[in-house]
Amino acid sequence: MNKGNSRRLARAHTRCYLRLSIQAILLFSLTFSIQAFSATVVISNERSGDLVFMNESGETTDVVKLCGRPRGMAQLKSSNTLYIACSDDGEVIEFDLKAKQPGRIFADLPGAMSIAIHDSTNRLIITNEGSAKATVLDIPTGKVLATLSTGHEPDGVALTVDGGLIFVASENAGLVHVFDGMSYEPVKNIITNLRPRRLAVRDKELWVSSEMGSRVEIFDTTTLQKIDEIIFAPRGFRSEQLTPVDILFDSTQKTAFVALGSANHVVIVDAVTREIQKYILVGRRPWGLGLSPDGKRLFVLNGLSDDVTIIDIKTKRPVRTSRTGLVPHSVEIVN
Amino acid sequence: MLRHCALLLTLLFSTSVFSSSLEITIITSKAEDRVNVGKSFAGITVKPHRPVIRAVELALFESATLFETLGIQANIRQLDLSPENDLQQQLKDIPPSSLIILDLPLDTMEQVAPLTDQMKLVAFNVRHSESRLRDSLCLDNLFHTIPSDRMYFDALGQFLVHRGWRKVLVVQGTSKLDSERAISLVESLEKFGASIVDQRTFTLSHHPDDRDKNRPDFLTGGVSYDVVAVIDSQKDYGRYLQYSTRSARPVVGDVGLTPTSWHFSLERYGAPQLNERYRQFKKNEILGSQVAMTDAEFAAWSAVKLISNSLNSRQVGANLDLASVLQDPASQVDLYKGTRGSIRQWNHQLRQPILLSTSEAVIAVAPMPKFLHPKHYVDTLGLDETQSECQLSRN
Repeated sequence: MNKGNSRRLARAHTRCYLRLSIQAILLFSLTFSIQAFSATVVISNERSGDLVFMNESGETTDVVKLCGRPRGMAQLKSSNTLYIACSDDGEVIEFDLKAKQPGRIFADLPGAMSIAIHDSTNRLIITNEGSAKATVLDIPTGKVLATLSTGHEPDGVALTVDGGLIFVASENAGLVHVFDGMSYEPVKNIITNLRPRRLAVRDKELWVSSEMGSRVEIFDTTTLQKIDEIIFAPRGFRSEQLTPVDILFDSTQKTAFVALGSANHVVIVDAVTREIQKYILVGRRPWGLGLSPDGKRLFVLNGLSDDVTIIDIKTKRPVRTSRTGLVPHSVEIVN
Repeated sequence: MLRHCALLLTLLFSTSVFSSSLEITIITSKAEDRVNVGKSFAGITVKPHRPVIRAVELALFESATLFETLGIQANIRQLDLSPENDLQQQLKDIPPSSLIILDLPLDTMEQVAPLTDQMKLVAFNVRHSESRLRDSLCLDNLFHTIPSDRMYFDALGQFLVHRGWRKVLVVQGTSKLDSERAISLVESLEKFGASIVDQRTFTLSHHPDDRDKNRPDFLTGGVSYDVVAVIDSQKDYGRYLQYSTRSARPVVGDVGLTPTSWHFSLERYGAPQLNERYRQFKKNEILGSQVAMTDAEFAAWSAVKLISNSLNSRQVGANLDLASVLQDPASQVDLYKGTRGSIRQWNHQLRQPILLSTSEAVIAVAPMPKFLHPKHYVDTLGLDETQSECQLSRN
């Protein structure tokens, strides 16, 4: 063996050791991470009509058949209760996460789509997609407190932190309807860009995703005036290919995540400066977003590839893609 | 004689204070055959044809909340023309700044459009896909919301090339319309790299001497091809080609896999909601589950929605100077097809995705993957700015 050969061999050995040790570290960290993460990921699947339960590493632990077209979900804070909108059945199911069984069923909610929850006043706000309204429900009694008239195809719904204002987006009308959170009187119709989908409240800001307008618009929750907008432009895309839907803030409200639909990307935005930090390629048509309770992992539901992409927040990279049910819609991550 | 129908709809609540009104006039023709239109021999319906008014009403029904917010009152009226009489005289009572929907046969539309343009009335061609109209009726106040033939055929061409079905046998009828459309089809197919293995003409005659032009197995025999593309505007013959071709190959074009702007079975982009509304919004006139807007109705709906949606994005309130709304490059419309529509400012054609569908399902939505345009995602469909004789944006 000549010198050159032996050197090459030595280099190969070093590479091999390096690779082995990297694998060992990865393996160790993976094992460690499985032990460290204890939360449960719950995914509603529109087409298969079930809930898929996963651990935080993306391994399916259970599948529970639920109802016709489960879509929006909301968790009652520090409880084992999840509320799930079943669109085709026109009802909202109160789901016991511990027993993995439905409890009470709130019926007569045609086209129930998205749900917002206001913990301190024990209210659910549910949008009724087919019937141009939203329903306010009292959780303890199950009674309807109010029916709010909206434009056609109401989807996203949100409240201010104090519950003083209720916001409902009408996709078809291009409006966000603002209602008084106590009297339920209409306060104002905010004109938005095309097809407003989801709403998220951050401090005194209301963020609205405009699916066909390819942007997120930001309104002041006090003046109800537009203050800014974020336009997305990942490389290689034309503006109209960007169709943002879900918006999610982390617990500090300093970072926002937006699912970009047809563009197959999720974007991380600095919520304070409103600057784009990174576009991350995920599966097909990402809509639903969820964040682990420790804020370390983002779960992105890919509605047209029937899977969930798990993103490590620190490195801003996808770590795993796991199979879900058919047409995953919403994700809640519970401790 | 001019005869206005009574106001058909007043959609907004009487308690609101209106700062402006949107007058929509749908122009139809008394001379149009309303009994046999869309029918083939023996009264078989092959192309559903309905007046577009229902689609216009739907668009106003959807816009009601926005219009109430903006303080706009909308009214629809119909003007049924007698084409043999003086047209100018019949048009003169149209309220100024009306939005005009031209629900007219081709020859009447070609006469009326220049007149409404002179009257500075914004008008929409919602029925005629002839690509040449985009050049011959190059008018400041005329807009085309129905796709051009080139848009339809470009969608088909992209689909075939995307599938790898590049060898195409073209089969066409003998009418002038069929010949014109076949030229358009061939240009589209060749633009994307498909090749025409042969171009053949069918006849309706059953005479034994004509069998090479009438029997599907003869008509489609003797050459090798991946797919048969049929041009048969009347749908007299083409619908018998499927399952009868000499080689076991798919049929596309006017039958089989067809490029359309709208379809009852589109299950994404909110389309099911729009289809359901179309069928059910008139409580005394509910339509069956597979009825959807025809391409002309969809174009009429798009025209009104283009106005209301553009008021949304401009956020200037009830500015109803329609021409300025539409000539703003930011004007846009949510078409329930996954990509917003907007106006090609050079020839006033609405840019939009095209569906490729069978009678049962939407198989693909064009533009197909990898067909890229430097400016607009959907501008690989139809003639581009540099290819257009009509250059309205340079005025």
